Amino acid sequence: MKRYDVLVVGAGPAGLSAAVEAARLGLRVAVYDENARPGGQLFKQIHKFFGSREHKAKIRGNKIGEELLQEAAAAGVEVMLNAAVIGVFAEKEVAVRVNEQILCRQADALIIATGASENMVNFPGWTLPGVLGAGAAQTMMNLHGVKPGERILLLGSGNVGLVVSYQLLQAGCAVVAVVDALPRIGGYGVHAAKIARCGVPFYTSHTIVRAEGVNQVTGAVIGELDKDRKIIPGSEKHLAVDTICLAVGLSPLSLLCALAGCAMEDNPAKSGYVPLVNRYGETSVAGIFAAGDVSGIEEASAAMIEGRIAGLAAAQRLGFLTQEDLDARVAVQERALASLRQGMFAPGSRGQTFTATTEGCPLSQNLLRQGYLTDTELSAYPGVVWAEGLHPIIECTQNIPCNPCRDACPKQCITVGATAGQITALPIFDAQKGCTGCGLCVAACSGQAIFLVDEEAGEITLPYEFLPLPQKGEQGLALGRSGQEICAAEVVDVKTAKVFDQTNLLTIRVPVQYARQARFFRRAP
Amino acid sequence: MVNKTADVLIIGGGIVGCAAAYYLVKGGCSVIVLEKEETIGSGGSSRNGGGVRQSGRDPRELPLAMHGIKNIWPTLSAELDCDVEYCQKGNLRLGQTEAQLRILESLTQKAVACGLEVRMISGDEARQINPYLSEAVLGASWCPTDGHANPLAATLAFYRQARRLGAVFISGEAAQEIRQSKGQARTVTAAHGVYEGGTIIVAAGLGSRPLLNTVGLDVPLQPALLETLVTEAVAEMFPQMLGTAAADFYGHQSARHGSFIFGITSGYEFCARPGFPRSSAAAASAACRSILAYFPSLADVKIIRSWAGWMDDCADHVPVISFAAEVPGLLMACGFSGHGFGISPAVGELLSEMVIAGRPSLDLTELRHDRFVMK
Amino acid sequence: MMLERGDIGGYIPAPDDDLLVCRCEEISQGEIRRAIHDGLFTLTELRRFLRTGMGLCQGQTCGRLVKAIVAKELGVSPAELEPITARSPVRPVEMRVLARNQEQKNG
Repeated sequence: MKRYDVLVVGAGPAGLSAAVEAARLGLRVAVYDENARPGGQLFKQIHKFFGSREHKAKIRGNKIGEELLQEAAAAGVEVMLNAAVIGVFAEKEVAVRVNEQILCRQADALIIATGASENMVNFPGWTLPGVLGAGAAQTMMNLHGVKPGERILLLGSGNVGLVVSYQLLQAGCAVVAVVDALPRIGGYGVHAAKIARCGVPFYTSHTIVRAEGVNQVTGAVIGELDKDRKIIPGSEKHLAVDTICLAVGLSPLSLLCALAGCAMEDNPAKSGYVPLVNRYGETSVAGIFAAGDVSGIEEASAAMIEGRIAGLAAAQRLGFLTQEDLDARVAVQERALASLRQGMFAPGSRGQTFTATTEGCPLSQNLLRQGYLTDTELSAYPGVVWAEGLHPIIECTQNIPCNPCRDACPKQCITVGATAGQITALPIFDAQKGCTGCGLCVAACSGQAIFLVDEEAGEITLPYEFLPLPQKGEQGLALGRSGQEICAAEVVDVKTAKVFDQTNLLTIRVPVQYARQARFFRRAP
Repeated sequence: MVNKTADVLIIGGGIVGCAAAYYLVKGGCSVIVLEKEETIGSGGSSRNGGGVRQSGRDPRELPLAMHGIKNIWPTLSAELDCDVEYCQKGNLRLGQTEAQLRILESLTQKAVACGLEVRMISGDEARQINPYLSEAVLGASWCPTDGHANPLAATLAFYRQARRLGAVFISGEAAQEIRQSKGQARTVTAAHGVYEGGTIIVAAGLGSRPLLNTVGLDVPLQPALLETLVTEAVAEMFPQMLGTAAADFYGHQSARHGSFIFGITSGYEFCARPGFPRSSAAAASAACRSILAYFPSLADVKIIRSWAGWMDDCADHVPVISFAAEVPGLLMACGFSGHGFGISPAVGELLSEMVIAGRPSLDLTELRHDRFVMK
Repeated sequence: MMLERGDIGGYIPAPDDDLLVCRCEEISQGEIRRAIHDGLFTLTELRRFLRTGMGLCQGQTCGRLVKAIVAKELGVSPAELEPITARSPVRPVEMRVLARNQEQKNG
């Protein structure tokens, strides 16, 4: 039976990162993935990542995927696609279905990086065509170029729900509602704000009562929930939709770990049934590692770090790295992981209710419930400084691990945290440093939360990722943060540049009294 | 600490223990069943191919099979208020070589001598009964009164009905020791409590041996690995139970559901490593090759699940169903050797007779525990 | 975990009992609830009795839903329930494909 030093199951961010680390140290590594394309979810994650430079922040997921594949190829990793691992047996024997046969392979270390699957909820009509997972919708749009529907109801306001809603808008779908049973939006405020200003309404404390339709979804009824999560009679509301996307969480795809005999636990903090792992990602079975979502649902950035750690540990186990080298390298990775796992949305913060940022700024309750900041709430945050002339307004109001805005500014006008590792602090804008209005921060902000404003001129430069791009001189409407129409607007500039990485800078002019409110441009129909 | 008393204490919540519990509560006894796993029917009861057959059986246990098929199985679904998917459409035991046909011939002659309606048929006759059979089949034994049922449903149906009638089931409770009181088997010490019974029935599969050892008895049982494959549901193809002279697989298509279930052997089941029973990649593949040699048209049917389990293989491959004269009040039913499912309702009924009437209605002398004589 | 399989009260129909839970095997919430009240207390027993999670997706879709129902009926947290056993193949494989594997260990 053919043997490798390391076999990796899953060519997603964790698996590829693990493979690259191990192969760079001289191990013979093969990666199996059941999909026709490598990269796991990365290639459909067309948004810019959060984090800091070491986490590949402000780079889009698909780009990160390409980089990882290049690194894997350069390191000599054998990536086998359309190769579904169907079982893990004794002595790290892996059975793989490739085309019309089963291949059995063995390895001295096995890294399971199988990721996650989408959770489902059931409600009357949930089996109708037109009800699908948000991840599935994302695959249709971003990998296959197919619109999942025209009028969408999105259930679930976690980051997946918010990101997919935005991408649905980019694909030209109407997102009729984002519904969540919880009283608060589950994902980042900046993601919510991005779609709220496009006019997408949020229904928190609401749920789907039923999907309507005979052969496919033709509508949905939602209802408001009381404190006991029962539908309040009379609160039902009919929505004309043809598609219902479910973004109600992910579950670790950990069956292979269980099959391999790894000790498992059902851990709600890790979103499900996961293998018990040590600091290196090693399971209870010596030489079998788990990395990425399979050992607990997190962001792709965390999965890549976990993958690297597992790859290094596998190398150490096989004698390609000393224990000291391993620990030194792992310590670096652990610091990177720790900086990602901070803030109000971190795994350790689950279940906690926050009322203020660590800086002491009150959290916008409106942002948490409706997805947008009100004009009056805005001035409480250090990124919002109403200065003369052109300057950024940083509408970043929650402690999330992210700092590309700081790195983007050539004049060091923006600081995030007192030290390099502190990346969840709210960005602070210093007007004294001499902002030139270059707009690099606007394009760099993964949350699209930075706007350049010139109050005197009534000009707002906003991040814009919709096609076709409006033309200079085009007339349209300015929308406020809540998506309401405010006033007429004219496009006065459209900037695209390689460094912006497809976040275009659209400058609109509005009557000066609306400069603090106008945050989106709607083209004339 | 749990302290419970019943007329009958049954160790083992497999189909034998559940069936005995059912017939005993029906007969008016109070019953406690202790099952070491959390789930009822975790051993061989959920790891077998569902055969309800007489053909191919050792003459010593054949009467039990014939009794069950004549008197119990036909009405079992109604009795247990649950479709146990009993299907009595015959059993084809297939041969591909002359040597295999001779094995079938010999078994057939023995069964006929016991009064079973079974005969040898040609390959073409077999293909008339089952048109999906390949030309490689040279002949078969054919027993029209054999059949199959769903072992998972049957086990849980006995459990459910016994529980409805008042039997007490405690799972996740591993019996550790049987103790006597004044010369009579009386109590069972388990992980979480001590249980007392007027009669103690040991029906704990492989676990029976160490338990019997605690009262100075021994039954020669060894673990042997059995692996099972299940397919996706497909349209109804054929209703017969299948077996082969080569013993490379056996199985059937579920009458209600449409999936095929195959018990498979790899030739290495007697030296499987101890511990949790694990299936292997090689055995499933070997079984598929065997099955397709008999049934080429199953080529595109998908295997969706495989699992493995331990058979409590007895030294002479037939069970022990017996009182222990040395330890009054103790009754044992174990060593079913991989073919216990079909006779399990009959065994349950016989055990209840042994408790209530003091003796079984069928002669079980040849299944006594003291039959093992060294050469 | 020890289960003293006592009475948890009879099955009381709920308005949403006809809701489908397991799509592959077409099992409703009511069938699951009824079975639980009839003494089928573990996820494995329900699988074996009703076939929930035993279809083509092997419970990937309904696993959580069934778990939530059992936990609610038994009054425990879903994480306390003993999980079902993982089985190979974790993806359905045609018999002709599975047959094409002649590899041996130590070879």
